[in-house]
Amino acid sequence: MTQGFIIHNRSMMRFIGLLGLFTLLVTLGSEAMGTGVISTSLVKTLGKTLCLCLIAIAMDVVWGYCGILSLGHFAFFGIGGYAIGMWLMYARTETIVTESLARQVIPPTPAEVTDAIGAQIFGVVGSSDFPVIWSFADSLILQLLMVVLVPGLLALVFGWLAFRSRVTGVYLSILTQAMTLALSLYLFQNDSGLRGNNGLSGLQNIPGFESTPQATISLVFFWGSALALGLGYMLFAFVVGGKMGSIVQGIRDNEARVRFLGYRVEGYKLFVFTLTAVVSGIAGALYYPQAGIINPAEIAPIASIYLAVWVAIGGRGRLYGAVIGAALVSLLSSWFTGGGAPDVNLGFYTVQWTDWWLVLLGVSFVCVTLFAPKGIGGLFDYLIRKPR
Amino acid sequence: MISLLEVSGVSKTFDGFRAINNLSIQINEPELRAIIGPNGAGKTTFMDIVTGKTQPDSGQVLWGERNESLTGLSEAEIANRGIGRKFQKPTVFENQTVRQNLAMALKNPRGPLAALFFKEPRTDAVRINEIAGEIGLADQLPRPAGELSHGQKQWLEIGMLLAQDPRLLLVDEPAAGMTAEEREKTTDILKRAARTRSVVVVEHDMEFVRRLNCKVTVLHEGHVLAEGSLDHVTADPTVIDVYLGRSDA
Repeated sequence: MTQGFIIHNRSMMRFIGLLGLFTLLVTLGSEAMGTGVISTSLVKTLGKTLCLCLIAIAMDVVWGYCGILSLGHFAFFGIGGYAIGMWLMYARTETIVTESLARQVIPPTPAEVTDAIGAQIFGVVGSSDFPVIWSFADSLILQLLMVVLVPGLLALVFGWLAFRSRVTGVYLSILTQAMTLALSLYLFQNDSGLRGNNGLSGLQNIPGFESTPQATISLVFFWGSALALGLGYMLFAFVVGGKMGSIVQGIRDNEARVRFLGYRVEGYKLFVFTLTAVVSGIAGALYYPQAGIINPAEIAPIASIYLAVWVAIGGRGRLYGAVIGAALVSLLSSWFTGGGAPDVNLGFYTVQWTDWWLVLLGVSFVCVTLFAPKGIGGLFDYLIRKPR
Repeated sequence: MISLLEVSGVSKTFDGFRAINNLSIQINEPELRAIIGPNGAGKTTFMDIVTGKTQPDSGQVLWGERNESLTGLSEAEIANRGIGRKFQKPTVFENQTVRQNLAMALKNPRGPLAALFFKEPRTDAVRINEIAGEIGLADQLPRPAGELSHGQKQWLEIGMLLAQDPRLLLVDEPAAGMTAEEREKTTDILKRAARTRSVVVVEHDMEFVRRLNCKVTVLHEGHVLAEGSLDHVTADPTVIDVYLGRSDA
């Protein structure tokens, strides 16, 4: 056990080192540092990618280590994004409204200010009243608390109901899909209180930092994302490293055996499910200010399925595998679908990657499942460990 | 010697099939007991009921000095009362080392937080070595359990039960698929365990049961057909009838 833990720690230290180096290189190359080798939009893309890596390691812990194929973790990611987005949007609108009302001869009453903010934010869905869920939107601290609390509580209640009834395997996957679908459909409604399909926008503008250039803001968010990924990696390495990891992997491999050893399996699953949901929420809260906009389509069921695909391609049951999978596939995805990849002219047919990327992804997924079940991360085993 | 487990009048029906029919068995502490019977006699269902995997339709399962009822408790709660169970097929955690398998089974706080911040006390390492010696796997501790032979996996699982430090061990067909030599060793392990604990062995193999040299309970169609020494029950005409009437005994 001690040996296994050291090996784990060594790979963790290696990861933290690489992450630090990467952060340093991006910082030196960024526009904010004056070199401009790496454009601000690329810094944002890389920062977002780090957030995706963070939710991927959470997914790896819940699926690769604990064996719960959750196809709903992007719901928690989205909730984290909405929670921080509410404050960003409120505070920014408040600044704008206060400025414009200040030009009036008669100073506005607080109620007038609130009404004006409401009209600004909810005008797009034909309303001007603040829904109850916006009660804390004026407080950054409370909304940050929501980033953690709302995904945590949702996962706790959902997980308690599901695990207590011993829902496992594909049935649990379907339930988690239903959860994220229901949430997404609800948010699409105009009277959901979160601006329906418009979502929350302008999130890249950080209130109080209006005069700070985006180059700087994006770099700071990149640092935040790198820090969160590093801390998340250490947290999960700790969780899956010791006795907890032993039990959790036991649950994955033979749940009944763990029960008959006297462990309450439900408690462990609930712990893992909730912890990973909270980390997913934090990842989302860092992601969407860099993306600038969040709408209900972000938490459509397909997003959570992609998450599982990243982890499968990267390699389940090893944290760095999830990071590799998420980074590689999401960056390739934006390269292919963003028009970065050149079209392939076959003479009789031109392969346009915007259409064919999904096919390519699907084929790679099938190939990984068939020929490299341990994913890309598993290939390291062949390189590092000498054959016996 | 006290009565540790008392199963009285238990019945269980699955879709009209009476797996257990008014079954009553009493196990003392310490005791070595063999339960034999043809396929479908209800041996595994009996274990399922005692360990909480299956709830009986009627009857009582009472445990310990205070005659606590076990029906309605979860598997984990029953395991923590002091009942360990070995499955028919060897079930060990193949991706983990022999040491990790034993460490997981060792008697320690079972909650998630206790496991998260668990630091192995020195006594645990000693205990693991003891058990590994007991089951003949002392030199296999760092190996992944998946690399062990079939017989070694069976022993590891028995070792995991011992690590739980239970008062009652329910052992389902421990000798299945073992060589003659391995069987002998398994007999020794079980006999030694039964000096201080109650051990219930479910077995098909008469030769193995003979070597255990203990009280035998014969199950048939969900209830007790005969009970006593092996020679006594094999001389029982009803037992002969049941066994001669079937080829799988």
